[in-house]
Amino acid sequence: MTERAAAPVEGELFRPRGPIRWRRWLGLSLPGSIALVFLLAGALADVLAPHDPSFIDLAARLAPPVFDGGTWDYPLGTDDFGRDILSRVMHGARISLIVVAIVVPGAAAIGTLVGMLSGWMGGLTGQILMRIADVQLALPSVLFAVLLGSIFGPSLRNVIIILLIWSWSAYARLVRVEVLSLRERDFVTASRAAGAGGWWIMRKHLFPNVVNTIMVIITMEVAVVILAEASLSFLGVGVPAGTPSWGRMITDGRQVMNVAWWPIWLPGLALLTISLTGNLMGDWLRDLLDPRLRHVR
Amino acid sequence: MQFWNFLAIRLVQAFVVVFIVASIVFFVSRLVGHPESFLLPFDATDEEIETVRERFGLDDPHIVQYRDFLSDLARLDFGNSYRGGGTSTIGALGERAVNTVKLTSVALVFAVCLSIPLGVAAALNRGKLIDWLTRFLAVFGQATPSFWLGLMMIFLFAVELGWFPTGGAEGFKSLILPAVSLGLLEMAAIMRLTRSGMIDVLGTDFIVTARAKGLRERTIITRHALRHALLPVVTILGIGVGRLIAGSVVIEVVFSWPGIGRLIIDSIVQSDYPMVQTALIVLAASIALANVVADVSYRLIDPRIRAAAL
Repeated sequence: MTERAAAPVEGELFRPRGPIRWRRWLGLSLPGSIALVFLLAGALADVLAPHDPSFIDLAARLAPPVFDGGTWDYPLGTDDFGRDILSRVMHGARISLIVVAIVVPGAAAIGTLVGMLSGWMGGLTGQILMRIADVQLALPSVLFAVLLGSIFGPSLRNVIIILLIWSWSAYARLVRVEVLSLRERDFVTASRAAGAGGWWIMRKHLFPNVVNTIMVIITMEVAVVILAEASLSFLGVGVPAGTPSWGRMITDGRQVMNVAWWPIWLPGLALLTISLTGNLMGDWLRDLLDPRLRHVR
Repeated sequence: MQFWNFLAIRLVQAFVVVFIVASIVFFVSRLVGHPESFLLPFDATDEEIETVRERFGLDDPHIVQYRDFLSDLARLDFGNSYRGGGTSTIGALGERAVNTVKLTSVALVFAVCLSIPLGVAAALNRGKLIDWLTRFLAVFGQATPSFWLGLMMIFLFAVELGWFPTGGAEGFKSLILPAVSLGLLEMAAIMRLTRSGMIDVLGTDFIVTARAKGLRERTIITRHALRHALLPVVTILGIGVGRLIAGSVVIEVVFSWPGIGRLIIDSIVQSDYPMVQTALIVLAASIALANVVADVSYRLIDPRIRAAAL
């Protein structure tokens, strides 16, 4: 009668019983292949990109893309410095990939640890840890990032640090809530009665039960982190000027928005596509692993 | 009684959060730059620099400055701006805050008024056209970078069609584009939540009972189902207000909207410490307060929630 899927069985969340039907994987095929394209484009940007992304060809300023009357020399046109947009979008994908590859696992590790500790220990320690997470929620993250960015100057390293500070608390909150209910369960009590220490219980009993939650947030956070990097770079506190990042390209394209549509449209579309892909993959994974998390976002 | 305890605990927690934010902002903003260089001509002598540093208390050790800062704060004295002839920061903030409040509240109204009816319509017509359109809108709304959307809307509606001004704050018309690009993300989130909440609740026994009693469909949906489905929406609204305030910074830059966000960014560039401090503290306090309001109203609406959720 209800639409709700049956609650998954403890400890077996990650390995569904029986073979997974192939139709389940169908939902992944489109976002999966788009993600693969971006992954390859970013990883192999040096080999695949037709031009040096920073090479300035003033003779070819604002050349239109090939489908809008341009030539194959610059398939997606050039910006107001005559830099090849296709190459810049590919190298921009690399910047996003680097940021995601460091920030997402890093934030997941910090957030999970804080969430598990605070949920398990409760009491004063738990309260203190959660107030730190609250601070992160109440401090307008963009403004704090602008503040940090203006102190340390724009650089990729600083963007990564800022985004790490920005994103760990999403994991901490959900993991804490899960652990708070898990610690009251019989199997934890039994383990404790058998003499298991806190660290052991966290590792062997709690972590396997929150892994699904973490996986789902990770998938969702990929898009969030990419958009955050773009916003910071757009505001001028992200990567340094001249770096081919999508946010930077949109700032630059804004100057010539009224004369040429492509310098601002193409990085924006890349951003939209990748963020859409991340969200779709997150939805898919959530339905597969943990339908209870539907209310997360 | 339990409710008042809960409220008190929540308020104390919010206060602690604001205190920590204030401290972080104080110490971080002391690292930014040298404000005296903005207050003096380029060829100022060392003596003049010393005088200015002394006047603003910048030559004291950081811990002394921090003590003064806290005791001023306790008296709600937010200090004076380094710029603009030393006007009070809270006054300058107040003028800008009106604009930010306008922008975020119109964005919120837009998000709520559009999302809930659409979410309900989608849930009632599962699998039909409206459901597909709504889900499509939700997926795109959550994925579109707001600053890019804003720029695209300026291009289309302001430059090409000339329906709205490209930026600035003149009249209600100039509010529409920024509010829509700011509110879209929140709209998508609330819409998804309403839809899934409605679908869940429409399958439960008490709706079947209501139907069996022969109630009108409209009564069932508005009085029984919607009230239930909106519970999670209330929680997300608190977080949503915070996200709107934070997101307004980028939107204010895109649309040259004279709000707090732009004020802060300008003040950071000019090393106007007192202004940055005041603005960040006020913003953090309002976000913390929004979260308390959400928690409290959630408890008022749904008595099943117990203090365990603290």
